[in-house]
Amino acid sequence: MAENLLEVTDLTVRFGGLTAVNKFDIAVQRGTIHALIGPNGAGKSTTFNCISRFYEPTAGRILLNGVDVTRSPASAMAGLGVARTFQNLELFGELTVFENVMIGAHVHAGRSWADALSARPSGVVDHIEHLLQRTGLTAYRNTVARNLDFGHQKLLELARALAIRPRLLLLDEPAAGLRNREIAALDALLTDLCRREGITILLVEHVMQLVMAISDRVTVLNFGTKIAEGTPDEVRNDPSVIEAYLGQEMVHA
Amino acid sequence: MSDKSVLMFPRPKSDTPGLAKPGSMLLTQGALMALGAAALIVLPFLVTGYVLYIANLLLVFIVLCLGLHLVIGETGQFALAHAAFYGIGIYTSGLAGNALGWPFPLSMLLAGLVAGAVGLVIGAVALRMRDIYLALATFAFGEAMQWVFLNWDQVTGGPNGLRISPARLGSLEVLTDRQAYPVVVIVALLMIVLTVVISRSRLGRSFRAVRESDVAAMAMGIPVRRAKITAFGLSAFYAGIAGSMFATFSTYIHPDSLGFQTTILVLTMVVVGGLGSITGAVGGAIVFGLISEFLRQTPSYQEIIYGLILIVFMMYAPRGLFAFVRDLMGRMARG
Amino acid sequence: MTIDVVFLFLQQGVASGLVIGSVYALIALAIVVIFKTSEVPNFSQGEMVMAAGYIALYLLVFRSMPLWIVMPATILAAYAGAALFRRLVLNQVARANGSPVNLVIATLGLSYVLRGFVRQTGFGDTPRSFPPVIEPQSIMIGQAAVTTLDLVILTTAVLVMAAFFWMFKYTKIGRAMRAVGMNPKAAQLVGVDLTRIHMIVWGLSGGISAIAALLISPKVLMTADMGSIVTMGFAAAIVGGFTSLPGAVVGGFLIGIIENFVGLFISSRAIVLAPFVAIMLVLVIRPQGLFGGRVEIKKV
Repeated sequence: MAENLLEVTDLTVRFGGLTAVNKFDIAVQRGTIHALIGPNGAGKSTTFNCISRFYEPTAGRILLNGVDVTRSPASAMAGLGVARTFQNLELFGELTVFENVMIGAHVHAGRSWADALSARPSGVVDHIEHLLQRTGLTAYRNTVARNLDFGHQKLLELARALAIRPRLLLLDEPAAGLRNREIAALDALLTDLCRREGITILLVEHVMQLVMAISDRVTVLNFGTKIAEGTPDEVRNDPSVIEAYLGQEMVHA
Repeated sequence: MSDKSVLMFPRPKSDTPGLAKPGSMLLTQGALMALGAAALIVLPFLVTGYVLYIANLLLVFIVLCLGLHLVIGETGQFALAHAAFYGIGIYTSGLAGNALGWPFPLSMLLAGLVAGAVGLVIGAVALRMRDIYLALATFAFGEAMQWVFLNWDQVTGGPNGLRISPARLGSLEVLTDRQAYPVVVIVALLMIVLTVVISRSRLGRSFRAVRESDVAAMAMGIPVRRAKITAFGLSAFYAGIAGSMFATFSTYIHPDSLGFQTTILVLTMVVVGGLGSITGAVGGAIVFGLISEFLRQTPSYQEIIYGLILIVFMMYAPRGLFAFVRDLMGRMARG
Repeated sequence: MTIDVVFLFLQQGVASGLVIGSVYALIALAIVVIFKTSEVPNFSQGEMVMAAGYIALYLLVFRSMPLWIVMPATILAAYAGAALFRRLVLNQVARANGSPVNLVIATLGLSYVLRGFVRQTGFGDTPRSFPPVIEPQSIMIGQAAVTTLDLVILTTAVLVMAAFFWMFKYTKIGRAMRAVGMNPKAAQLVGVDLTRIHMIVWGLSGGISAIAALLISPKVLMTADMGSIVTMGFAAAIVGGFTSLPGAVVGGFLIGIIENFVGLFISSRAIVLAPFVAIMLVLVIRPQGLFGGRVEIKKV
């Protein structure tokens, strides 16, 4: 078992003439929360989308638990224990909360013919109930996802991702648009997932309050290049980080 | 089970809109089904052969609609070659019966499988690029197939049409609409059950996931392209089965009835019934099947009426007639 | 088939193919400009051509209007009709439920209404022919025989396409259209009126369809089903990549030439199969089309 659950080396992404990410390395240790931050347009989301295999990197290698997944299709990642959420919410809008989470369990719902044919496969139903309860969505189970308020939609995305039973959870701006007390709850939930269940989390985030509170390690990107990496404290005091953020993001910190 | 992490989120109010009451719904559904089953059983004892012919035809349309429902309603993929697969089904089962003397259950299965296989090939090629290419490629495929039906004289009889010999099972021969009716009813019911099973299954969930958001579906481990091709292949299979159902009670088929108009007729049924619901597909087939039977008297208005129905429903009732009525009744109940 | 005949057929196929292909190119252009700005393949494009053809026929034959009035009147009517359909119908469809499939179904509905209407008026019940606009004279180009009418068709189509490209590239409206095609939300943010641009796009698409109708009608027997010419337009658009305007033009000429080759070398009955075979071949060999780049990755 490799020490790093995720290892990205030399990742480069070019769109036409524009280099979005340049020779970027990141290693995410098993059982930690790792944040990827940087000013707008720094290449965070591009990196994130390469790791979840939605974008094709121009060069570089992505290792998951020591296995090369650089060319794996995006739909293979769930089966490998990688779950993700989306920056701009990609719920199954016309489906109920329950069905959304049920589809999250897609890779676990086909163990037997009976399970594959069932609307409530026995192997996953208990876990889904547990996830609904944990995210406070039990009472909304039959509500159509589109009709939830924004905070609950974000939670639903999280519950759906957790239904994959991930080893690695990729979160794209989980706190964006949430109110302060919702962020506090998210903080508690993520910490709990990592510390008690050993889920490794990599998050892209702008809300520094959350990043600084829960991360074990922080990597800072600017103009597609890594400019700093370390504990939250180290990164906070790094002059190059302060310079990169000057005049924009530090207002959040 | 950790409950503490959620305490900070506002608790939902006790009565959330959208919460269904499963008990009463099951009851009405069960009652409706029992009623429908009873009607299907007593029908042949009450009515004339012509009415039974219409009933057979409506049952064929139901299966056609279920097929289109799977690909458009469940998976959100637009396909326009339903009439072509229907035709493949008719000719395959007709020929298996005419030339090979196969018993009809076998030739029906063959019809479904041949249509489904052609569908898989077309789908696999068309879905390599944009989703909408499926619509364009199937549109062109439909035109091409109608040409094949018209010109492949040895197999289809070309412009003279093809006489279909009676369906056979051992020494049994299906000679009239009345004799065909039980066969057609049973196959239609089987196809309805199959649709319900698919829709509730993991496969059905993956179809709906693809319809709602293909990127999220991919992140959940659903191979999106394969799901789309599967849905399209299944819809072709349904159309093939529908064709073989038609071949059990019909004695003659002409390529003229296998063109784009038939595809549009089925599309109109599914849209009018309500995209995305099995009840809608079945209800649309019945309601609109009857309307189109009446409209046959005035073929010149038919096109305008189909067209207007499609436009008006898309403008004001995109979820179909049944959802529209339900919404309306809900709104009236609330005052 | 001797080598001489092959050579003759090749020349004739290319010459006739370029003429009819120029009309396909116009139709493909009309399809692609709508798809580029709203992701909707317009299934009523063929019936727009057909309806415009009948408007021209009505004005010319039944109202005895002179050609110099009939032509602009037809183009204007098609422009207005298409723009109004976008404004009054499609806007409402998009509001009711933004699924692109619904918009496509609405265009299918329009195609049926137009065809049914033309049949209903009584003009569409028998095949009719358009009066000869100019005296057709035969001209030999190499060994290929074309008519003066053919040359007028080709020249007009090329001029219209040139004007369209100029408009698309250099005018303010054209820039706004390109912006909407790339990113509607961003375009709206910088002050582009989406409703207006969509109306203009549909209007232009209708106008181009009308020009295609004016060019093709003298060459064919007119029936209410002549909208099926759109299959050639779709094939041309797919060959060109479906989002590329130059691709649509090249695709149009290619489909025209292929159609003529199929007719000359194989059988005129097999022409119906040409667009389907062309579409499938492109999707197998080069699914992005001749001019299409990669499909843009959806931003997530």
